[in-house]
Amino acid sequence: MAYLLQQLLQNSASRYPEKLAVWARGRSITYRQLEQRSNQLAHLLRERGVRKGDRVGIYFPKCVESVITMLGIVKAGGVYVPLDPQAPVDRIAYIIKNCGIRVLITREDRRRGLDSATRESLAFTVLVDETPKSSNGAALVPWTMLGQYPAEQAPKVVLTETDLAYILYTSGSTGRPKGVMLTHQNALTFIEWCADIFKITSEDRLSNHAPLHFDLSVFDVYNTLEAGASLYMVTEDLALFPTELANFIENQRITIWYSVPSALTLLLLHANLKAEKLNCLRIILFAGEVFPMKYLQQLAQLLPHVDLFNLYGPTETNVCTYYKVQRERLASMDKLPIGIACENTEVFAVNDENEIVTQPGETGELYVRGPSVTYGYWADTEKTKKMVLPNRFQPNFEEKMYRTGDLVQLAEDGNYYFLGRRDNMIKSRGYRIELGEIESALLSHASVKEAVAIAVPDEIVGSRIKAVVAYHDGTTLTAPELQQYCSTRIPRYMIPEAIEFRGQLPKTSTGKVDRVQLAQDALGSATTLVAP
Amino acid sequence: MPATNQTPTTQSALKDQIREFIQTQLAEPKGIATFSDDESLMETGVIDSLGIFRLVSFLEEDLRVRVGDEEINAETLKSVNTIEELVIRKRK
Repeated sequence: MAYLLQQLLQNSASRYPEKLAVWARGRSITYRQLEQRSNQLAHLLRERGVRKGDRVGIYFPKCVESVITMLGIVKAGGVYVPLDPQAPVDRIAYIIKNCGIRVLITREDRRRGLDSATRESLAFTVLVDETPKSSNGAALVPWTMLGQYPAEQAPKVVLTETDLAYILYTSGSTGRPKGVMLTHQNALTFIEWCADIFKITSEDRLSNHAPLHFDLSVFDVYNTLEAGASLYMVTEDLALFPTELANFIENQRITIWYSVPSALTLLLLHANLKAEKLNCLRIILFAGEVFPMKYLQQLAQLLPHVDLFNLYGPTETNVCTYYKVQRERLASMDKLPIGIACENTEVFAVNDENEIVTQPGETGELYVRGPSVTYGYWADTEKTKKMVLPNRFQPNFEEKMYRTGDLVQLAEDGNYYFLGRRDNMIKSRGYRIELGEIESALLSHASVKEAVAIAVPDEIVGSRIKAVVAYHDGTTLTAPELQQYCSTRIPRYMIPEAIEFRGQLPKTSTGKVDRVQLAQDALGSATTLVAP
Repeated sequence: MPATNQTPTTQSALKDQIREFIQTQLAEPKGIATFSDDESLMETGVIDSLGIFRLVSFLEEDLRVRVGDEEINAETLKSVNTIEELVIRKRK
């Protein structure tokens, strides 16, 4: 029974050494190669000073080396931190500093984009490029160096399942992203449930659509390794073009697909999907946002042979509840439940009277307990204390529970339904976005006096973002200028698509900005959300 | 600058029109100020999964060329240059 993620690889490599493990952009590696290269990387990292618990950044677009890197780092006892290759460099620099990352595995072009202070703060950098352009001394290590290290065994490091394996950064409401700490046990709790319920075998071919800094990719990578299956990574040249993506699913004979609903909707609307071309698909999983019923119904009809599952869970717990779509009931449903707890996880809703909800129809905030729950946020005890709480419903021993901030309702059949958020977190294309983070970015511009970010409901992506901004007297500002400024601070998918300028923002009687009024105004005027 | 609903007759006017659409409708809303004519618009993030369709609508409605599903791919829509080539090809 594996208790560390690398043991999943080790076990499959000994059973299926010559099997294709990972494919990306026309290149592939076998299990033997993945096992050997990750061993070599682990030795290299240890020799250069990486110690148990050290955070190592992964900063390059998806390729087979991505998986070698993830496994190499955990084998060295390190904690990998996937960094979004498309995020603004300022945000990457922040995470590197916040997380205490001293070792980076990256590509030369990305490295050059970082500011010199950040580059110099690193102990060393490994470059995955074929031929690094510049190699000044010990600080830059070319990937080719791996060949000099032992390949058959990983270095000896004492690790337990309660050690951290990776940290995933998510949007932070106070303006800066926060790092969710995840252990081997957190990941394996989820993976073991998956393997069991989806009956994943070595014959399966899993796609990986999600970026590696999103926890959906944990499903893809580690279920593949667990089963000795094959992983087919979706890179941006495929992801953007629905027809190409549909061809990919067909040509690579994908059997299990997991993505945010909006990716499926775009496929449905623009890829001319044909059931007979996708006959290898046996399971489609979706998570991250609400799947509009009409599109789900179309998908269910189009692919009658495919099992469909709605998965729910924040990064802090990975998936904690699930619901299997029943086609015969689908036509009469206007909402899909988030379902029931996964094996080895417990969820419960707590109402305003602080009691656990037990009666159908009752609502409350969803809490999660069990071995999938995070320890908390890296270097942020304050935020951790707010969200990862002592379980006051457990009288006999101390344990933690995670408050999701999601409001849910318990139904007759025992399924939970998602009602909404307690706060200003929204989903757009499955991305978790704190409106506060966008507002912080806007407010940091010298000319901006007040700023509010509003979610405008959208049929395909969940929410689109509009900002209403008041700027200081005597200054001028245009939407493109402000959008440009935002692009240096927040990821593209968070940049407001439309910005409205007003002299002042409406206030409530208590003097706070009247978000409700602004949201209503936005709904009234939003026909197409096109930048001015 | 040509008005967006006219079909330009000269080649450079066509390229300008394509560039202007991408600049104002796709790049600026993402805070991207400039891009070169041969730069990969996907790699730099100017074009994302939603932008593709706005671009195709622009080609069909404003530039009056019909683009088949198979022609919507990483090669044809890679850059301002390749998009211009696509339009010229379709007009022949």
